[in-house]
Amino acid sequence: MSEPVLEVRDLVAGYEPGVPIVRGASIRVDRGEIVVVLGPNGAGKSSFIKAIAGLVPVSAGRVMLDGRDITAVPAHKMVGMGLAFVPQTENIFPLMSVEDNLKTAGGILKPREAAERIARMYETFPDLKAFRRVSAGNLSGGQRQMLAVARALIVDPKLLVLDEPSAGLSPKFVSMVFSMLSDIRKSGVTILLVEQNAKAALAIGDRAYVLVEGKDAHEGVASRLWDDPVVAELYLGQRPHAPRGGDA
Amino acid sequence: MSLQFLVDGLLTGSMIGLGAIGVTLTYSILRFSNFAHGDFMAWGAYATLVVVGAIGAMFGKVAPIGALSFGWPLIIAVIIGCALTGLMALLLDFVLFSRLREKGQAIIVVMASFGASMALRSLLEFIFTSRPTYFSRAIQIAMPVGFGIRVTPDQIALLVLTVLLVSATHLLMTRTHIGRSMQAVSQNPALARVVGIDVARVVRATWLLGGALACVAGVMVGILVQIRPLMGFDMLLPMFAAAILGGIGSVPGAVLGGLIIGLAEAAAVQFIGAEWRAAVSFVILMAVLFVRPIGLFGRRER
Repeated sequence: MSEPVLEVRDLVAGYEPGVPIVRGASIRVDRGEIVVVLGPNGAGKSSFIKAIAGLVPVSAGRVMLDGRDITAVPAHKMVGMGLAFVPQTENIFPLMSVEDNLKTAGGILKPREAAERIARMYETFPDLKAFRRVSAGNLSGGQRQMLAVARALIVDPKLLVLDEPSAGLSPKFVSMVFSMLSDIRKSGVTILLVEQNAKAALAIGDRAYVLVEGKDAHEGVASRLWDDPVVAELYLGQRPHAPRGGDA
Repeated sequence: MSLQFLVDGLLTGSMIGLGAIGVTLTYSILRFSNFAHGDFMAWGAYATLVVVGAIGAMFGKVAPIGALSFGWPLIIAVIIGCALTGLMALLLDFVLFSRLREKGQAIIVVMASFGASMALRSLLEFIFTSRPTYFSRAIQIAMPVGFGIRVTPDQIALLVLTVLLVSATHLLMTRTHIGRSMQAVSQNPALARVVGIDVARVVRATWLLGGALACVAGVMVGILVQIRPLMGFDMLLPMFAAAILGGIGSVPGAVLGGLIIGLAEAAAVQFIGAEWRAAVSFVILMAVLFVRPIGLFGRRER
């Protein structure tokens, strides 16, 4: 059995005290995996992932990263703990150059180390190098997502957490972003992501959880989850696609 | 026609500009108009005056440097004054602004800064009376430099100081991690936290930097004009006009805005009449808000 990078146990979290949005969700992410969290609208997926990243107050439960309890760690210290979060929207600083965007993440690194990591990101993402002096607000949707991910990777995180990386992107960029994530995993980074676009996410994921009403309702191997009738039912009784056999 | 107003305008503009840097940073990073910023200038000038007095008491009379009206005690005192003004701004944030900021309504913080402004000013009047005072009563001879312009050695030194300080602040904002962090917080505080930036630290840096620059501006007014409790409050409107003209959040913009307003004020005195001086900032402020609300260097986000 492989070792867990992230273990979340019975997490309860919400913005207002006494009004939990996440109501006892548990997941586990093993080293080198891509784990996807799916769920119908309003299931609390986004709040769940934000609570893990320290952005939504947690009232009960535990978040362990590499054996360390990070439950009550403030958001700005998460990077230092090894957890890098990429928000869904507005995940770049639009008035700063691409390079300065990358540099903002280098606060916990020594200047030379930060420069080396940025140079490495430019090798991985040549587009970013070409636009290094350009204001990030001028980038296309796909390039912005690329920049946000590159910035998260600067600190060499143990776990990369993404909130709906395909949100608001055109289909062409969606496939680009997912193949980028697939490549990142190949380089040894463990990834946890929340997605609305279940099909694309399951295609690159190893395992997936379905979150319903703030709880983990189902878990399975990503490639098989797409055809799992339980999942279809959890999605408000709708089948994600028509059954091929036509025996319904 | 005398071109003397150009020098006067540049000097006034330098003082406005240095003050406006603090205004623009507080506005963009802490998201409120700090009406007490002018009073930081006055407190800086008085703090420096007290330290100069203390140095004088310890070391006796010190000869001025070259042709300037002041000696090394003033230079040491300004540095200490900057630290004291920065600390006072931090203290004010701790006891007043930070608590109100947490409640999340900007207008309450703005009103609180108005109250703080009155309190700070009254405290100065209480301690030092409202009678004007001076760093030095020595009279400087202005040297002719051509085109009918005359400048004093103090004026030249302070213009050079302004250039140095503005360049240093610009480098700090664009080349250092704390400067980039300040920009990041001004653009998106939530994302700044995610990226690993300690927002509380950025807030402290903003107050220290804004307070220190306000102190320098106050001391400049003190050297070139006089020191009195109302000196900063009187510059509040020009400072806000400069910050808005330059574009909120832009350090070079604030300075350029300050210079434009300083020059426009001096030109108004020269060509229209001294009683119109105070109206200039107001007219410029209104014109900017009508024509280009984002200011000269302001950029629309997203």
